[in-house]
Amino acid sequence: MGAHFRGFSMFDAFFVQQLVNGFSVGLVYALIAIGFTLIFGVLNVVNFAHGEVYMVGAYAGVVLITAFAPPLIAVVLFVMAVGAVAGFGLERLAFKPFRRFQDEASLKSKAMREATLLSSLAVSIVVREIVEKLFGGAMRPVPFEAQLTEPIQVGDLSFSTGQFVIFGAAVAMFAGLQFLLYRTRIGLSIRAVANNPLGAKYVGINTDRTIIATFVVGSVMGAVAGILVALYYGSVFPHMGFAPGVKAFVAMVMGGLSSIPGAVICAIFLGLSEAVATEFLAQGWSELIAYGFLLLTLIFFPTGLFGGARDRV
Amino acid sequence: MTIAKTILGALAGVAVAASAVPALAQKTIALGYQAPLTGEMSQYGEVFRNSATMAVEQFNKSGKLPGATVVLKFEDSKNDAKEGVNIAKKFVDDQEIVGVLGDFSSTVSMAAAQVYAQAGVPQLSQTASHPDYVKISEWQFRNITTQAYEGPFVAKWALGEGKKKIAVIAIQNDWGQSVVSNFKDAVEKNGGQITAVEFYNPGNRDFRTILTKIARERPDAIYLGMFDEDGATLMQQRRQLNVQIPTYATSSLYSPKLVALAGPSADGLKLSTTFAVDNPEPVVKAYVDEYKARYKADPTMFAAQAYDATNIMLAAIAKVGPNVDRKSLRDALAQTAGFPGVTGETTFDPQTREPSKQLARMEIKGGQFTLVK
Repeated sequence: MGAHFRGFSMFDAFFVQQLVNGFSVGLVYALIAIGFTLIFGVLNVVNFAHGEVYMVGAYAGVVLITAFAPPLIAVVLFVMAVGAVAGFGLERLAFKPFRRFQDEASLKSKAMREATLLSSLAVSIVVREIVEKLFGGAMRPVPFEAQLTEPIQVGDLSFSTGQFVIFGAAVAMFAGLQFLLYRTRIGLSIRAVANNPLGAKYVGINTDRTIIATFVVGSVMGAVAGILVALYYGSVFPHMGFAPGVKAFVAMVMGGLSSIPGAVICAIFLGLSEAVATEFLAQGWSELIAYGFLLLTLIFFPTGLFGGARDRV
Repeated sequence: MTIAKTILGALAGVAVAASAVPALAQKTIALGYQAPLTGEMSQYGEVFRNSATMAVEQFNKSGKLPGATVVLKFEDSKNDAKEGVNIAKKFVDDQEIVGVLGDFSSTVSMAAAQVYAQAGVPQLSQTASHPDYVKISEWQFRNITTQAYEGPFVAKWALGEGKKKIAVIAIQNDWGQSVVSNFKDAVEKNGGQITAVEFYNPGNRDFRTILTKIARERPDAIYLGMFDEDGATLMQQRRQLNVQIPTYATSSLYSPKLVALAGPSADGLKLSTTFAVDNPEPVVKAYVDEYKARYKADPTMFAAQAYDATNIMLAAIAKVGPNVDRKSLRDALAQTAGFPGVTGETTFDPQTREPSKQLARMEIKGGQFTLVK
């Protein structure tokens, strides 16, 4: 930047750069929000361990890169596998035990469902502490050759390789998920369970298997998001899933809890508004913007900006 | 196996016997050391423990204090003020303890200081740099120069290199605020101009928006007040954004981890520090060599701070002699002058107990911290 901007209308170039910054932050939130929202849509509970799946994906990828330095596509495939195992294990540990009673009262019980809030939180704490014990609490660098931090100068704007990769990944995940949900049989059962779990069960859908599939798909996405963001920021640390996870949660709530397109749009909106807010306020206040929007949404659009009126919400 | 064991056992027995003879007449003098040994700040407590253990072992071997052996008692404060106070109460009740080292952060050190001030135990913190810490009572000492000293030093350096317009980025906490106010005053007093002051919340990982914002004012330089992980992230994003404004920083960024995390992005960063691993001075070289041999790692600035703090305490004990108590140790500490440590010569002002020491200038070149002559 610096010298490159001289002679240009100052406000434009810097402001557009700020929008680029905000858009890329928003995409990071969106990557996490996609998997988050998918799982919420099916179970109607928050999976508090999603941020840890993201962190585990990042660590798994970095360990592989450090050991073998494979090409990016191999890293992503490996992380997808790790994410799938993590999603399966998470479901088995924290969610399945609360579905062991199959009588109608238990199936309808809110308490049984909401107990998984705590069980997923417990799993997230245990996983984070284990990673901290194994790798230490401090930030670890991603090997420099593998980082997606190379600057790309386009006119007066500065991008980095990671921003393009994350954009591509977000588009691919979003499109892939829409295909899965609306063009495949498993997608049909996911939508059916999301719509009415009891009804789905009565018409012969294997709800257990559908829920497991949802966790696997959602966690694969969370893990891939983790490694891509780690490569983009150049480091991993055990608490990396927390802050963006909270923002993804805000985006999900603003978007109407179970609307994936809504969550993506709100995530990008949050990123943009944080960046633009920094133009006028200290960075510390930009958090206020995100939570301010959340409050406004909850007051004026209790079902979210993109949420249908659903009695379950 | 058994023969080897027997020989080893015999040797150990001889060693114990040899050391036990003078030990019969030995008095034990204890120093308490409170530091975060677990939790998020454990990386600092760990290097404090390494350096302090090394300093005490060297001291006991040196024979500077005939008739007494110094032992260290460590307690883990977890960087938590409540824990710090509990430890302070425990140390105060321990009659063997004549003086205390620690804690790590100003916040915990100041909480514990209230207890030590009341009970009358000398406390020497290797890192607490908050202006109010030594004002608590005559029992508080520190071995780290504060921002009141460092800010003007870097300000004059930058201004001397023709950087008249400077933007500041600092972490939003007590320490960050003291970084900003001291640097800002010094720049403005010496004819420079501060174009922007940007505080960020602890935990922030995205500095692109801040960098873009301050770049608009086209400052001649940027000054950073933060720690290694934030500094590394910022320097990486600075490179990605192609911001070429020269950057200066506080000594807190003097850490091998900064270069490990930021790699080539950290090149060109200029900072002040009191300690440099590659300093050829014999006292520094001896310390670095032994530390590396023992702990298989380069000592950080924080390790060096703890080494000097422990040695200042030990020198004061040696000055009083084996019958040292809390009061006489305090008085001896207050007289510390020209102590030749690895972080430079340290002198405590007898009245304010503020330390003064020489600062060095460093620049990162090719992934190495190099001394600027």
